[in-house]
Amino acid sequence: MLPFTSSGSKATPRHHVGGYSNGYPRGKTFDISPHRYQPRGTTVQRRRTQSLVRVALVAAVLFLIVYFCWPRGGRSSSSSSASSSILSVLSLGLLSGGADFQLETVRYHDLSNVQGTARGWEREERILVCVPLRDAEAHLPMFFSHLRNLTYPHHLMDLAFLVSDSKDKTLEVLTASMEEMQAWEDEKMHFGEISIIEKDFGQVVNQDVESRHGFAAQAGRRKLMARARNWLLTAALRPYHSWVYWRDVDVETAPFTILEDLMRHNKDVIVPNVWRPLPEWLGGEQPYDLNSWQESDTALQLAETLDEDAVIVEGYAEYATYRPHLAYLRDPYGDPDVEMELDGVGGVSILAKARVFRYGVHFPAFSFEKHAETEGFGKMARKMDFSVIGLPHYTIWHAYEPSVDDIQHMEQMKREQLALEQAEKEKAEKAMKLKESFGDTTGQWEQDRTKLQDFALKEKKETAAAAAAAVAKNKEKVAATEEKESGGKT
Amino acid sequence: MARPMGSVRLKKASPVTLAVGTALCIFILYFLLGSSTPDFSASRKASAAAHPLSPPTSPFRRSTGGGKLKPPPVTHYNLNNVTITPKPLENRENILLLTPMARFYPAYWDNLLRLQYPHELITLGFILPKTKEGNEATKELQKRIAKTQKYGPERDRFKSIIILREDIDPPLVSQDEGERHKMQNQKIRRAAMAKARNSLVFSTLGPDTSWILWLDADVIETPPTIIQDLASHDQAVIAPNCFQRFWNADKKEMDERPYDFNNWQDSDTAGDLAKKMDPDDILLEGYAEMATFRTLMAYLSKEDGRLHEEVPLDGVGGAALLVKADVHRDGAMFPSFAFYHLIETEGFAKMAKRLGWQPFGLPNYKVYHYNE
Repeated sequence: MLPFTSSGSKATPRHHVGGYSNGYPRGKTFDISPHRYQPRGTTVQRRRTQSLVRVALVAAVLFLIVYFCWPRGGRSSSSSSASSSILSVLSLGLLSGGADFQLETVRYHDLSNVQGTARGWEREERILVCVPLRDAEAHLPMFFSHLRNLTYPHHLMDLAFLVSDSKDKTLEVLTASMEEMQAWEDEKMHFGEISIIEKDFGQVVNQDVESRHGFAAQAGRRKLMARARNWLLTAALRPYHSWVYWRDVDVETAPFTILEDLMRHNKDVIVPNVWRPLPEWLGGEQPYDLNSWQESDTALQLAETLDEDAVIVEGYAEYATYRPHLAYLRDPYGDPDVEMELDGVGGVSILAKARVFRYGVHFPAFSFEKHAETEGFGKMARKMDFSVIGLPHYTIWHAYEPSVDDIQHMEQMKREQLALEQAEKEKAEKAMKLKESFGDTTGQWEQDRTKLQDFALKEKKETAAAAAAAVAKNKEKVAATEEKESGGKT
Repeated sequence: MARPMGSVRLKKASPVTLAVGTALCIFILYFLLGSSTPDFSASRKASAAAHPLSPPTSPFRRSTGGGKLKPPPVTHYNLNNVTITPKPLENRENILLLTPMARFYPAYWDNLLRLQYPHELITLGFILPKTKEGNEATKELQKRIAKTQKYGPERDRFKSIIILREDIDPPLVSQDEGERHKMQNQKIRRAAMAKARNSLVFSTLGPDTSWILWLDADVIETPPTIIQDLASHDQAVIAPNCFQRFWNADKKEMDERPYDFNNWQDSDTAGDLAKKMDPDDILLEGYAEMATFRTLMAYLSKEDGRLHEEVPLDGVGGAALLVKADVHRDGAMFPSFAFYHLIETEGFAKMAKRLGWQPFGLPNYKVYHYNE
């Protein structure tokens, strides 16, 4: 209100009083010498006009207040109407001075433009990266380094994280890292919209490896995971997205160009092969994601015998499905562009066109044709005639977390190792002892031998010396006799 | 130049002149301020998103000044705090009103404007086909939207409006009454309709939405308190009864008749029929060739019945349907394929049930369909 009242209070008197007191003579017309000072009217007149001006001013102010506050306060049913209307008047006043934004309430999107093509990065197609998180603090730094390294234009990537039922500092670390990333100096590193969504589902299943992969827990766990994925997607999918990429945080190694590599195939749903590295004693590597498979007759027959709410989970002896798995078809030297049709997919890394999700394909949190979550997603996509493809020779590597069995095995191995070391040590000690007891005698023998040798040498020397001495004696004798002989001659 | 005139006028500075001047000032101020009425109140501005890359259920601040756009901020949404209660008004819960539209009926828009739920909490979402008919409807819709959002009083203006266009395959063909209800066209038509509905809800559903009201473009009359009334039942999925007003030539007066037959309770006959069907075939309601003997809510309405009487349903129609956002968030969608031999809204009811959400209907709470 300030600018208006002030301008009003200034403008009105300045104009009128100024005009009135500009020295024009009163009562005469067309005076051409206006610079002569003339007294104003009488004090009575002046007072009357001043009071009139005041009355007019008050009226103006009152009118303005009534105009702005009355109608809104009267008809608005919202709670803060009175204060907000005054606020609005204030803000309007400020805004008319230098408004730098307007409220845009209408959005128009043509979904035909966001169907997704093979070369999305050239057509500026936006991609939504969905990452479900739960107690994932330990994996986050590795995940962010992957994110930073992705070659798909960062400004076309919108990131959505769902943090659910986390007891560690996932949320704090995530927020801090993302804010840091958006404040990066290099503009090319900035991502598009970043949404961090919190929702707790009250998961009862623990997230450690054993309870996560135990057979009994699977159906319930998969349904909960499916709900989490759907909540994330529905909160984050916007009308401007052409692609959706699902990625687990615990991927250890993946090509930086993975988005472009998968997009190039121009399929509705596409997944790479997922393996994991193993310690040497376990063979060095292993197929990890067994949820990408082709349907088999055995599995279809099995499905018919099961209860409506049953969920077939792959990779467990309880459900022998004899399905061809993407993971087992890997040839490390095979062509990475080879495609394979799939019916169920795993959720470690899925690239899908956004229209797949728009048309209603989701992660069933119920038993959809005896499958749930990502496998049900694959099945539903097929049901709606979308292409579902896996790349058997294009591999990404999941982080290795030792299972309880592995840990036991490793402990066993460690024990064996320790036992081996112990045995080695004992052997060494024994050898040492033997060495000590026999080593002395050999020493003695050596000593004796050297002594003997010395002795023998001495003897040798002595005899030699004696011999030499004898020879010398003889020589002397000879010399003496010769001297005697020579001396007798002279 | 102004001096002679000024001198002439100002010489006779009387109280009358002063009053006229003041009046003029007020007049000018009035127009100065009056021109900025299309702007929004501070509370609405404060709740707007800062970046165009934001959930479409909120308006965003469009920068009018030049300069480069800052990178979007990291935004937190705590979905644990989104309430869905029987008292949406008191908790100021956000409504997403969704309408697949092939033709624009002015009466539909007038009915929307009459809704007594605070408009600043209602987001509208539309999806229109990219056909000639759709273009026409879009143009008319946009005209009405501009009228309301730009020049209308603020209490009429909705929180945000999203218009989507999409070519849905197979295309939505002629919307003529006769053609539309032919049985062989039904599956194709409803599959396309299901896709349109899914596109609409999954592109627009925002992180702050509590309720979704599905309202067909040809529903032209609802009670103005429909949102509060339906929400007060606190049911996951709830459908009012859809009727049609017509001129009854026998009685020589306006009368009403049941219109939407997709709200029903299942029957054993329908179950038996389904068992004999091919897995991709669908059961349809309202055709003599396929007598299902289901209990239709359309016929459960009683003249003297209690307005808020509830009946559980196994299939729902889409004419008017209030759904808790959590149902869609859990994944319940409109199948465009045979899901338990059901399709579109009826399949949706089934899927909601599979996810543990029971749909209900209100036989005596009526909304009215356009009469062509």
